[in-house]
Amino acid sequence: MTGSNRTIVYEWLRHDKKFPHVWCPGCGLGILLGSLVRALSSSGLDKNRVVLVSGIGCSGRLPVYVDTASVHTTHGRALTFALGIKLSKPDLVVIVVMGDGDATAIGGNHLIHAARRNLDLTALIVNNQTYGMTGGQFSPTTPFGSKASTAVFGHIENSFDISALSETAGAAFVARSTVYHVNQMDNLILQAIRKKGFSVLEVLSPCHTNFGRHNRLGSQVDMMKMYKKQGVPVKRWEQMSEKERLDRIPLGVLTDRDMPTYLDSYAEVCRLAAGMREEGKI
Amino acid sequence: MPSGKAKSPRSGRRDPKVVIYPAWCKKCGNCVAFCPVQALEEDEWGFPRLARPEECTSCRLCEKLCPDFAITVGEAPVIKGRSAEEPAPRATGDRSTVDRRHSPERVPPVLEHHRDEEESDREET
Repeated sequence: MTGSNRTIVYEWLRHDKKFPHVWCPGCGLGILLGSLVRALSSSGLDKNRVVLVSGIGCSGRLPVYVDTASVHTTHGRALTFALGIKLSKPDLVVIVVMGDGDATAIGGNHLIHAARRNLDLTALIVNNQTYGMTGGQFSPTTPFGSKASTAVFGHIENSFDISALSETAGAAFVARSTVYHVNQMDNLILQAIRKKGFSVLEVLSPCHTNFGRHNRLGSQVDMMKMYKKQGVPVKRWEQMSEKERLDRIPLGVLTDRDMPTYLDSYAEVCRLAAGMREEGKI
Repeated sequence: MPSGKAKSPRSGRRDPKVVIYPAWCKKCGNCVAFCPVQALEEDEWGFPRLARPEECTSCRLCEKLCPDFAITVGEAPVIKGRSAEEPAPRATGDRSTVDRRHSPERVPPVLEHHRDEEESDREET
């Protein structure tokens, strides 16, 4: 049981930042911010041990409001900065907050290689299916046929599945949630933080200002009701037929596997090299 | 707002205390739309209001779905020796000046203050 909003606001949000925050009314990033802070509060971690790293975009503003160490980096390179932080100070808990453009377009290469290396990081990828901050251009996760300010007749490219991509690239923990399923999101963030290895949590978040407006999906309430209708637990998803799976999204833990992390393997290499040096072989 | 002692006829729990902080509210309507028992409703300015407190089960969904931390379910903390008229402490360079129980931007007695004003208006008319 976590504390109420009041306790969390006092303890975890920065007192010298101006509230209400910069995001649009009803933006899912605010819900994710609350969820992240609740998960951090219930994980019992020391504030001084947590580092939040973000790139550019609407999601880049998120770590600014949390009273932990935070790094606001260049576009797409949040994971590389996080990798450096984790390698130099392995006892820190590093959480990376990225948008879909940040993670899969500009930093797409970094995402797959970070997943391949399996360093002990937590990546929260906020998928709003568009570039929200710059005016609703299509991003790599914009679904086929949907409209954007740069695709007025419908988008003609297929979209990335962030969860499947990071699962294939070798992440240890992959999960998906939406901002409507907020209790599930609390638990998944906590699991992702506690998981040893690269953990990815894809959070579907409504961008009613840009994506919703171009595609006539209504307000954020309508989009969150859509998520409620579309989301199915992974267990039920596995039993569904191909026809039923259309327009449905599996939610929950998609992959959870134990693999040696980069730091474990690196410590092993250091031990071997030190042994050989003692023997005088190198 | 009901006192914290009485029990709700529906849930048998203690009456909830839903505190809305209008200065942070952007009137997005998440809390009103997703309340499972429709205990909240919009007032004439678009802010949420606990219209049916006896229905509220303190499930805290409104608190969690609020992107702006503008709604809190639970007992409001009593701050000793501080009146509603006194301005909230401001954050300065030195964090130690900020009351630990209190965010600089949040003033729980706001609603009470509003209510006092409304009552005095009514008395005048």
